[in-house]
Amino acid sequence: MNDALVVKDVHKRYGDHEAVKGISFTVHEGEIFGLIGPNGAGKTTTLRMISTLLKISSGTIEVCGYDVSSQSDDVREVICYLPEDAGAYKDMTGRRYLNFMAGFFASGEKKQELVRKAISIADLGPRIDSKVDTYSKGMMRRLLIARAIMPSPKFAILDEVTSGLDVVNAHEIRDIIRDIADSGVTILLSSHNMHEVEVLCDRVAMIDGGEIILTGTPDEMKARYGARDLEEVFIRAVKEREGSQ
Amino acid sequence: MSDLTNVMKKELREYLSLSSVISVVLVVVIFAFMGTMMSGEADKITSPSDLLVINCDDNSFAVDEIRDVYDVIFDGTSGEYVHVVDGNGSVVDAEYVQRLMSENGYTDAIVICPDFRNNICSTPVIKGQMMLYFQFEATGLFGGASSSIAQSIVSAVNERISQTLVSSVTDLGPNASSPIDMGSTYTYVNGEVVENVTPIEISSALMSQNFIMPLIIMVILTMIGSIVISSMGNEKENKTLETLLTMPVKRTTIVTGKLISAAIAGLVFGAAYMVGMMFYMEGMTSTMMTSVDLAEIGLTLSVSDWAIVMVMMFLAILSALGMCMILGAFTKNYKAAQTMILPLAIMAMIPMFIIMFMGWESLPSIGKILLSLIPFTHPMMVVNNLMFGEMTMVAIGIGYLLAFSALMVFITVKVYRSDILITGIGQTRFVVAMKKFFAKKSE
Ligand SMILES: Nc1ncnc2c1ncn2[C@@H]1O[C@H](COP(=O)(O)OP(=O)(O)OP(=O)(O)O)[C@@H](O)[C@H]1O
Ligand SMILES: [Mg+2]
Repeated sequence: MNDALVVKDVHKRYGDHEAVKGISFTVHEGEIFGLIGPNGAGKTTTLRMISTLLKISSGTIEVCGYDVSSQSDDVREVICYLPEDAGAYKDMTGRRYLNFMAGFFASGEKKQELVRKAISIADLGPRIDSKVDTYSKGMMRRLLIARAIMPSPKFAILDEVTSGLDVVNAHEIRDIIRDIADSGVTILLSSHNMHEVEVLCDRVAMIDGGEIILTGTPDEMKARYGARDLEEVFIRAVKEREGSQ
Repeated sequence: MSDLTNVMKKELREYLSLSSVISVVLVVVIFAFMGTMMSGEADKITSPSDLLVINCDDNSFAVDEIRDVYDVIFDGTSGEYVHVVDGNGSVVDAEYVQRLMSENGYTDAIVICPDFRNNICSTPVIKGQMMLYFQFEATGLFGGASSSIAQSIVSAVNERISQTLVSSVTDLGPNASSPIDMGSTYTYVNGEVVENVTPIEISSALMSQNFIMPLIIMVILTMIGSIVISSMGNEKENKTLETLLTMPVKRTTIVTGKLISAAIAGLVFGAAYMVGMMFYMEGMTSTMMTSVDLAEIGLTLSVSDWAIVMVMMFLAILSALGMCMILGAFTKNYKAAQTMILPLAIMAMIPMFIIMFMGWESLPSIGKILLSLIPFTHPMMVVNNLMFGEMTMVAIGIGYLLAFSALMVFITVKVYRSDILITGIGQTRFVVAMKKFFAKKSE
């Protein structure tokens, strides 16, 4: 299996504060990979480095064979990134927003095709023509996911896609993500909801305090600690690490 | 290219709608303020200044009158300020007067024509002639609006002599009530002589220029500045900037798109304001005493001059936009963005008010240097500088603006390529070092 993402010994410092302390993991092509950890663990920082938004302090990241530092333009061609708590341009309608973003990938009839595809994924009905600042959180998230996968990226990076959503909306979003993965897109997502990651992801990396403490499939992890769910795994893994230090 | 137009289309739509509230309010406030300032400006001379008197009469009658009047008005200072030259009984020519004036730095001169006393003392009175010469100097908006010393003195002398004549027992004819003919006035503007136009008239005509340029530039700069910064604030708040930066688009394309569309918006607004202001000024100047056509007296701009003005405007807009993109990069959200406009607004207002109310010429050298360091001073003064041939100032202005705007664009591109755009300045090495420094100090 090919690797869509290779992260090797990556560090990130914000001034004096080291937010990411030498993490390494790989994401295989076609899988849904979950990065889980508590608030402030360094998930967003990691995803931003992968999506070329932040410079890496040291280490290397390769996305689909492209180096994020030296080939960032190529990386941006193959990825899509959905920021945490993202919004859209307030004075645009959903349709206009999709039109604007589609303009970066195609023009003419091809562009319209992209927009039509995105509109059907967002599934907002007539509200697609309302201004985005009238959207609920769930509607906004659907619009943004539709925008993200509209150009058929190879690698999708989703930061806390379901945070702040109710059970029903979160469930719907997870269904959409599975559909995207089925269409051949590799997905890297972050979450602090262990249950969500367990039901959605093929493999998981647990991150805490800027370090990866455990990697594997949810089943492997549970078996290793004899735990019922990932939450328990996480707590035991943290304790084990503290004990060994 | 299509990425660029895509960015520009979106930016322009935003700029041209989000727009004017702030700026319109600002302009209205300034207009209201201006209006009161203008009506309040008194037409008086308050301090004595040099006056050249060239006596072409064969006696000192008129000279004595002038000295007496000067002493009355300015507390016996005629000895110090009134400089009398003998015209040897013949009519002097304008060139000679100008030479005398410029050699000694006088701005006002009175020429007493031959037979002045004889004419006035004949029965009935024949008008005695005095000619007024002025050196026009560009000053601030209201600097030139006070009447000249020569004019006040001559009219005072006129009144004094007429009082004596009218109180005499014999009837001295109709001219006794205004015995001095001050029909001929010569004003030197840029080394050219202009007949029968006083400096006040020129300056009130010039006022429109002095007034329009700084105001329009200030308004355009703060307006486009505020829309650029607000739009940056919005992009930060909604994380749309983060999204945009992960699109397959070059950072320079995004920066260029934002800069160009803001510049276009600036020019659109600028043109609109310019037209509006022209109408306003036309209404205002027509209610004033003057009807001087500046073009007729050589105070006009050629096509190449206007090209220079446009270049200056463009560079000023570019500098301001660069500043705003940099300031905008540091904002966290829309609200924070609103305060970020302050540095730019201050930088635009200081030169505007100084140029309008004090005038460049009246500043001490240190003031001139400080003012020149503000890049927006130069486009505000360029029209006047071009009219009066101050080409060194124009060249300095263009050079400085060129350097400044290049620096701003350079820093903007740098910022857009760095982490700062995403993380804010809080974590840059410099700020961290500063924080540590102050933390240590306070311990
Ligand atoms: N711009 C920044 N400047 C300084 N420190 C930062 C900055 N962004 C993040 N950090 C720090 O880096 C660490 C990791 O932050 P990050 O946002 O990556 O965490 P996270 O795992 O995404 O958390 P959350 O679940 O709350 O989103 C935190 O300690 C945070 O305080
Ligand atoms: Mg996060």
